[in-house]
Amino acid sequence: MADKPKVVVFCCNWSVYPGLQLTRLDPSLRSDEIEPIVTMCSGRLNPELVIEAFRNGAWGVMVTGCPPEECDHDGNYNARRRMTLLRRALGQLGIEGERLAMGWYSAGESAKLAKAATEFRDRISQLGPLAEVPEMA
Amino acid sequence: MGKPKVAFYWCASCGGCEEAVVDLAEDILKVVEAVDIVFWPVALDFKKSDVEAMDDGEIALTFINGAVRTDEQREMVELLRRKSGLVVAFGSCAHLGGIPGLANFYDRKGIFERAYLTTPSTDNPAGVFPSKTSQVDGEELTLPGFWNTVHPLDQVIDVDYYLPGCAPPADLIMDAVNAVLSGQLPGKGAVLAPSKTLCDTCPRSDTKPEKISIEKLKRPHLTEMDPDKCFLEYGVICLGIATRSGCGERCINANMPCRGCFGPVDGVKDHGVRSLSAIASLLELPDEENATEEDILAALGPIADPAGLFYMYSLPSSLLRRSR
Repeated sequence: MADKPKVVVFCCNWSVYPGLQLTRLDPSLRSDEIEPIVTMCSGRLNPELVIEAFRNGAWGVMVTGCPPEECDHDGNYNARRRMTLLRRALGQLGIEGERLAMGWYSAGESAKLAKAATEFRDRISQLGPLAEVPEMA
Repeated sequence: MGKPKVAFYWCASCGGCEEAVVDLAEDILKVVEAVDIVFWPVALDFKKSDVEAMDDGEIALTFINGAVRTDEQREMVELLRRKSGLVVAFGSCAHLGGIPGLANFYDRKGIFERAYLTTPSTDNPAGVFPSKTSQVDGEELTLPGFWNTVHPLDQVIDVDYYLPGCAPPADLIMDAVNAVLSGQLPGKGAVLAPSKTLCDTCPRSDTKPEKISIEKLKRPHLTEMDPDKCFLEYGVICLGIATRSGCGERCINANMPCRGCFGPVDGVKDHGVRSLSAIASLLELPDEENATEEDILAALGPIADPAGLFYMYSLPSSLLRRSR
């Protein structure tokens, strides 16, 4: 298991993602430890992908949506309900709730998101990687 | 040429799958006419040594039910795999892990402590736990090793087909037997049941509203419901929206919402989280934009045990497989 933290940040293609790409051109924010992944809307994010990220070694996952009333599809509300329920289910499976974060960011708030993602990575670094589960035991 | 040989075996299971074979009723006579049953521990007196004496691939078809969690189960399913042309994972436990798979919330140590130490009816002052070998009166006794984790069959051996259900219904079992006898099988790895969701075939689907929106979830035993109406319309959780059809709607017809024993439809990797997602999507809070996480949790209130509910039959086959 990698000794460096890895966090995955799911971002909406139609709001915060393009700006985040620009923000990441700033060398001080470039990091192998924070991986943004584009979605077509936070409401289109299948929670299976959140679990896939954990399974593939992510220490934490951040799901970002547009703030209330800014999503054209109410996908942000859907995503929030799903992630709230998923966080509880993950807790039962020994994955701390803090490892799955959800936040609202407008189209112009990519710098705010970059900062939040960096802080999230720092918090998750304290938790370390998920416990490994042997294939067969 | 002799009749094709068929075997049945059971691992971590309740016996309901064996009952399902008996439930074929008169049809079992057709099966016996068409095939030779060469191994079936629950019903016939063949031994492991009889299987070992067979040539590799000699058994045309083996149905294995139950999840796998002991050394003995692995040894038996590996033996049957070697001796069989086709292996069908029979029932929810072999297919997905099933109810025994809920043990994956715990580990061997926790299970042993609970079962052999802390249950109110246990009297074990010496703290004796099962062990693989022990000495009694100068003799060595052995037990199969008990694993930390419950596995569905395909995590242990190569599986050709899956017959879903807790337990699989008689018509699907007969369809599977007939498909093998006639050689008209789908591609390897197929689940031998329709790839539609239960909602598509549900007798109550006519009353399912075009758009379901639930303000607050409810529990079935606390909710008065018209027995012809969709459970979701009342806010009662039914996993028919994310579960494969083919069960014959046995629970629905007994006025019980679906709990997902048929597992996911084709293409879904994780039945539990897909079900969780589907149910969360149906909620609609009255003041969603100002809602807090507490409001959402209150609306989700009746889901006291989300992982246990959504992974009731499928935890070992889920992406995470077990708790950390």
